[in-house]
Amino acid sequence: MTIRIPEEEVSGVKVRTITALIAAGAFIVGCGSSSSSSTTSSATTSAAASSGGASKSCAISIGMEGPLTGPVAVLGQEQLAFAQLAVKDDNAANGTHISLVQGDTQLNPAQATTVTQQFISNPKIVAVVGPAGSQEVLATGPLFGRAGLAFISGSATNTTLTNGKNPTFFRVVSRDDVQGPEDARYVVAHLKPKALMIVDDQEAYSTGLVSSMIPVFKSAGISVDHESVSQKVTDFSSLVAKVTPNTTVVVLPWQVAANGQQFGKNLAEQHKKAVIFGTDGLQSSSFTIPGSYVSAFGPDIKAIPADASIAAAAAQVYPKYGTFGPPVYAATHVIDQAIASVCKSGQTPTRANVLAAIKSTDEPTSILGQPIKFDAHGDLVGAKWFLFKINNQGKYVLVTNT
Amino acid sequence: MHFFVQELVNGLTQGSLYALIALGYSMVYGVLKLLNFAHGDLYMVGAFIGYFVIQWFGGSTALSVPVPLVLLVMFLLAGGGVGALGVAIERFAYRPLRDAPRIAPLITALGVSFLLENTMLLLFGASYRDYNTSAFIPFSTGIHVGPLDIDLARIMVIALSVILMISLTLIVSRTALGKQMRAVASDREAAEMLGINVDYTIAATFFLGSALAGIAGVMSGLVFNEIYNLMGFLAGLKAFTAAVVGGIGSIPGAMLGGMVIGLAESFVTGYISSTYTNLIVFGILIVMMLVRPQGLLGRVPLEKV
Amino acid sequence: MSTKGEEPPVTTDRPESAAVGVDEWVARSVDRREYAPGWRGDAQRLWGRVGWWPRLAVAALIGAAVPLLTVNDFQLQVGINALLLALLALGLNISVGWAGLLDLGYVAFYGFGAYSFALLSSNQIGGGVHLSAALSLPIVAVAAACLGLLVGLPSRRLIGDYLAIITLFFGEAFVEFTNNVAPSTLGGPNGIVAIDPIKVLGQQITTNKGYFYLLLILLVATVAALHLLDTSRTGRAWRAVRDDPLAAGLMTIPVNRVKLMAFSFGAVVAALAGTVFAAQQISVFPTDFDTPFLILIYAALILGGAGSIGGAVLGGLLLSVMLDGFLRSPTQSGYLFYGVILLTLIVKLRPWRRLAAVLVGTVAFGFAVHAIAKAISANAVAGGPQSGGWIANAVHDWVVVPANATRAGNIGFVLLLCLVIALVQVKGRWRTILLVPTLYLAACVWEGRLVAVPAITRQLLIGAILIVMMNARPQGLLGSKRVEVV
Repeated sequence: MTIRIPEEEVSGVKVRTITALIAAGAFIVGCGSSSSSSTTSSATTSAAASSGGASKSCAISIGMEGPLTGPVAVLGQEQLAFAQLAVKDDNAANGTHISLVQGDTQLNPAQATTVTQQFISNPKIVAVVGPAGSQEVLATGPLFGRAGLAFISGSATNTTLTNGKNPTFFRVVSRDDVQGPEDARYVVAHLKPKALMIVDDQEAYSTGLVSSMIPVFKSAGISVDHESVSQKVTDFSSLVAKVTPNTTVVVLPWQVAANGQQFGKNLAEQHKKAVIFGTDGLQSSSFTIPGSYVSAFGPDIKAIPADASIAAAAAQVYPKYGTFGPPVYAATHVIDQAIASVCKSGQTPTRANVLAAIKSTDEPTSILGQPIKFDAHGDLVGAKWFLFKINNQGKYVLVTNT
Repeated sequence: MHFFVQELVNGLTQGSLYALIALGYSMVYGVLKLLNFAHGDLYMVGAFIGYFVIQWFGGSTALSVPVPLVLLVMFLLAGGGVGALGVAIERFAYRPLRDAPRIAPLITALGVSFLLENTMLLLFGASYRDYNTSAFIPFSTGIHVGPLDIDLARIMVIALSVILMISLTLIVSRTALGKQMRAVASDREAAEMLGINVDYTIAATFFLGSALAGIAGVMSGLVFNEIYNLMGFLAGLKAFTAAVVGGIGSIPGAMLGGMVIGLAESFVTGYISSTYTNLIVFGILIVMMLVRPQGLLGRVPLEKV
Repeated sequence: MSTKGEEPPVTTDRPESAAVGVDEWVARSVDRREYAPGWRGDAQRLWGRVGWWPRLAVAALIGAAVPLLTVNDFQLQVGINALLLALLALGLNISVGWAGLLDLGYVAFYGFGAYSFALLSSNQIGGGVHLSAALSLPIVAVAAACLGLLVGLPSRRLIGDYLAIITLFFGEAFVEFTNNVAPSTLGGPNGIVAIDPIKVLGQQITTNKGYFYLLLILLVATVAALHLLDTSRTGRAWRAVRDDPLAAGLMTIPVNRVKLMAFSFGAVVAALAGTVFAAQQISVFPTDFDTPFLILIYAALILGGAGSIGGAVLGGLLLSVMLDGFLRSPTQSGYLFYGVILLTLIVKLRPWRRLAAVLVGTVAFGFAVHAIAKAISANAVAGGPQSGGWIANAVHDWVVVPANATRAGNIGFVLLLCLVIALVQVKGRWRTILLVPTLYLAACVWEGRLVAVPAITRQLLIGAILIVMMNARPQGLLGSKRVEVV
């Protein structure tokens, strides 16, 4: 029987001393430099000047909160790319020096709270783009409200967000309670299914839409099979096997287009004739099943002539963009214009005057193909939703928009 | 009836993939008593390697060489590449911790997992990549008997998995290397004293296990088309579950465990409800574990007192 | 065996008395430790002489002083997150560190505590249940204890990794349950919002500062309670069960009951942490309690040293401060990156001549490469460091960042990983030589690519830190290497 004896613990002392020194030094450094802001300029703008000629050069920061890593990084990175593009374009157009500070929430409300606190404590940040998810807005709304910091989301569609509890919240997309029933009514009127399957992806966005659509289907006498899969699932064969011959429509209010594509492939594989009706997330070059319908809160900017230059620039930075990027571009643009107007009037941008400027936004046109004006609760006035059908070449064709 | 067979085939496909990954898990666990949480990410790397092979040969719609050659190259490169990566990870991250308490390499494996996932995110971006298998293995091939539709890709996946599993079992039970692996798994110190090159054996184990995971990744891409940098997380968890449910350290057990989980998921989704699939499958597995605490094919561990 | 007064003292290491169940020679290993020379040894001896309770008081005072040093709410939030993680690591320590049971569903207890508190303090159930904290906290604690017993029941039949799987199921099932089942009661993916703040002594706690102090008090109380537990019969029973369940059973320790107690106590600690979390966040969602957070708790515990109270707390505090306080800020990530590399070099490279050679060599190498690259093509250095700040300005003429920074950065990153792996393989002089280009490449990749994507870099750094720290000190910062009988 052998006994193994631990080595001398002297090296442990060294580690401890060093750890203590690191921690102490870090703390001092942390305290020292947290009170001054930490900004990351986007690749093209130079370091922000922080004193003196601030109102002249309009050097200020805005925050961007989104799921930059984690399970839905595909959406967050697209949003980030468009936000950076908007800042770059607006800095060039208005002569401002706005820089973008990123915050990664991984679509997790607790992390969103931490990131929001970080932005609030950074005095150079006067407005925030994001967060992306409705849960995160629910979690961070009170914080933003207390700090008087404006935040515009390009993808949070939950109806309750604009019921007056979040005075500094705005959004540039339509709401679940508008989009859901409208989509459902279109399906009933034009696709006339006898039975349909509706699958949610267990996220707040999806379940919200589903709960507003099912009553419309049920009252039209359609038999509804309500299923549910997690966003992380990548194979839907078991679900597709449940699609009966009577089921002519499958409604997929999903956020991840690639999942929709795979669902469509599974349908083809099992020779099911059902048509996919998807929303929002499915509007992307990753989803190209011919004959499908996609209802989105963002337009196809490739089809809007005025957006040609933006579309070209976006294709360079993030080729496979879909529906989540353009609204964030619009949101960032609103903030940039607000800051520019404050600077033009000779004031230094603060949270209060930027908030007021955003409230009085009145853009006649935007990347979304419609004017931007906010109502009293922060919703976009006349927010449209867009319905596309995918033709046999995999191209999106606008069917209608309201 | 055809619905049953359809769900059966779905379950077998999914189950074979879980089984392949679980095999690698079990092998590494048997030899090192290490829960390699980075194993699922090796599967993801394999899937990406396969994707880039397709792109190299011209893309899914315009392959410049015959499809069997593309498949062969994909499997070889993924298997070899991921195997080598596994050996490198073992050498770099796990070997210094071989004598540490069992729980320490767990965290290192997590660190490796973070590194792998986010390196892929850094290098290739967040967009999902699509194998678009139906462009070069059309749906029209395969078995289409009446209302039953089984795609050729799925048949290939199931067949190849079975072949690989049988080969692995043969390697472990018949070859000298296999004997060394079993010896090291049983008692590393004694094996070393008997002249077995433990470092080499462990490296070989990692190579085989990781190669299997890499090949499983390619297969996953072929059947499920979309790959992204976090696909290994869930697969790794499921494979870990499969390995334990089947009896950890037992290779046939890992295969059985993977099949059981794949079939359970498929049938529960098909016959009960997709909303509660995970909960019900967990329930089934808990009951199985309580009925047979050492796993399906695990041996009751003998304790030397 | 016994010594009389006149005889000279026995100088061998024989134990003077045989205490049952203790190997004296092993236990005395602490006494035989060499103290470091000089002031460090004096400090160690002084620290050892101070009792446990005064040490706790000192730590509590330091903790209480922290909010006075912070300047804004974000730093307090980081502190709150750190205290929460420390609490959770403490609770996990009971199952994993003391009792040796791998509990992979621990985060579900945290979620249970948060959701229970949320249900009892909001408008979610019926017309709205708004129990005061004095009522709801004990209810939650008792319920969590029962839940811990329930989850621990399989431990009667299952051991080791098999038990781990069951607890993993439980953890996953909790998230599924709260997300998909009974959305009108549990809120579904939209969670529960508008949770009442905790009321203590008539005062509602609504600020970050308040919750920081509440958590600090909770942490100190938990540490004290766990210390008492640790030095009691129960603690000894846990350690016995961890080291050898069969022998423990033979020594009349009720193994099953002891295991259940471990689960129970851990669950109570987690649930209490969960209630404060819910109150501070004012809302709870299922995704707050998913598996990645469990991984974080494990990392905190093992980095700090499983089996040690101080280790669990230190691990939780350090990891959380690093993740939220440092790595969320690009400039501070830079400090961390450069700082840790330099520190490692200083510690590992002996003698100082070698260290000086490497540092000077790296600087010279860098300027040389920069000059050569500039001479070859202006494009090769056209992209500058991708961030602002004084470090970037300082290294502007030192690092090589081509115009196409992304592509070059990616290639450089992969090359860097290969070089680091190679560094581990080679030894001696080649290692020193290889260090120079590796360090330079690291700086180039950092300035050229990694600072432009702070979110991804954060995750990469977390992974790297976990690997490096576990390799450097496998038993954790304050863990002790255990004697293994082979």
